[in-house]
Amino acid sequence: MKIAVAGKGGSGKTTIAGTLARLLGRRGHDVLALDADTNPMLGVSLGIGPEETDLLMAVRQGVDAGHIGHEPTLEGMVDTFGRDAPDGVRLVLASRIEKVDPGCPCCGVSPEQLLRDLEGDNVVIADLEAGVGTLSRMPENGVDALLVITEPTVKSIEVARVVCALATERHPEVEVLVVANRVTSDTDRDAIAKGLDRDVFVVPEDESVADADRDGAAPVDVDDGSPAVAAVAALADRLDVRSKVSA
Amino acid sequence: MGEVIRVAVVGKGGSGKSTVAGTLSRLVARQGRKTLALDSDPMPGLALSLGLGHITEPMLTAAVEKDLNGRWQLKKGIGGARAVSQFSIEGPDGVRFLQFGKADELGLGTMFASVSGFGQVVHRIAEDGVLSDWSIIGDLSAGTRQTAYDWAPYADTYLVVVEPTWKSVLTGRRIVRLAEQRGAEHIHLIANKIESNGDLDVIEERMDLAARCVISRDPMVTTADAAGVALIDHAPESSAVASIASLAEGLEGD
Repeated sequence: MKIAVAGKGGSGKTTIAGTLARLLGRRGHDVLALDADTNPMLGVSLGIGPEETDLLMAVRQGVDAGHIGHEPTLEGMVDTFGRDAPDGVRLVLASRIEKVDPGCPCCGVSPEQLLRDLEGDNVVIADLEAGVGTLSRMPENGVDALLVITEPTVKSIEVARVVCALATERHPEVEVLVVANRVTSDTDRDAIAKGLDRDVFVVPEDESVADADRDGAAPVDVDDGSPAVAAVAALADRLDVRSKVSA
Repeated sequence: MGEVIRVAVVGKGGSGKSTVAGTLSRLVARQGRKTLALDSDPMPGLALSLGLGHITEPMLTAAVEKDLNGRWQLKKGIGGARAVSQFSIEGPDGVRFLQFGKADELGLGTMFASVSGFGQVVHRIAEDGVLSDWSIIGDLSAGTRQTAYDWAPYADTYLVVVEPTWKSVLTGRRIVRLAEQRGAEHIHLIANKIESNGDLDVIEERMDLAARCVISRDPMVTTADAAGVALIDHAPESSAVASIASLAEGLEGD
């Protein structure tokens, strides 16, 4: 099963993607966490630390630099450039921008290509770049489910509206689930639900997630019983990935 | 009034780029400068923070035509000054505002004309002598991409907006490295959403930069964002506006 996570920058995509990956890993799933953002941060929310996250090599740059054979296989790329995170999660970075004028972002190994081809027995959780770029380039059957993360602000809801509309138009086969993040009240929840005219899955505002963000830690390592982590666990139930257990 | 101000506002998504860029544009215009605010984010942002409300229609579509290879090119004779006079719109305090189209349910596909036009116009604007007395404030998209791809050739100063989270700091560091490679004359750290001296210390230490401007966490920013209005109209007396005002006064001396 492949799950992509999209939304405005700062809405909590990476935090929710990382937490979901860890929780699914604990349940025995074989989880591959794909960081599809050219400003990759997923390692932080998976709990491998900010400094180490900043040193990880991405597939695109690794292949370009010749760190793997001439016609790399997908498994080879995951082996060579992946990095183990806690709870059995394997982290892979698609592409990172490290220097100016970095060349065509769609040529070479692209996030969309990895999204299309990664599968096997894995649960793949892909943390997308802010906005709609990856989604608008994504081939058919790139993902099974799309989590659209939004906060209760006008801009964040507008980005979520565009993401939902794009997914409905281009990928009608994909299950779209809106996650209302950092919700402090029914008013917040209703603003999002009404703004998008959709049911929403609520993840509450949570001081321990804010602490994790400040310290560069995974929310599950700060307090795995916190309200937000509990909500992501319920989200994992809702996504019904149980049938894909490979362990 | 002395030299012009030419800045790109950059940082992680959610760090407060648009709030800083929109408020700064309004304040710079109130100093009596000709001010151009440029939004190169395909997601909504600067128009709301400037107080223009929600603007989605693509600008500059009439400024481009397809060349023989099917690529969108600016029409002959459309230099920076003409692009501004003909295609920008006027916002509060006389700020001129230019953006490309926003993504919709068809993605960016229908916006290619506008995006291509904008990508070329920023270079014309940077080079156009007629605009040499204009101050320019650009709001770039989240992350590292637009600094890497030279979307702000008009900027001699990069304002790197960082909040007290590690992800924001990592993004800030990556952008600083790119802006240095770009040859930016000034790179200033804007520490945003600061709640304590500890927050500020952590950001400055991790960024290895002293903050040029410190903006306290301000509930007025949250309520302005929730309402989709400009901070400077919503809460002109707020501490965040005061901090950005002192930034605006200092930039000229650079």
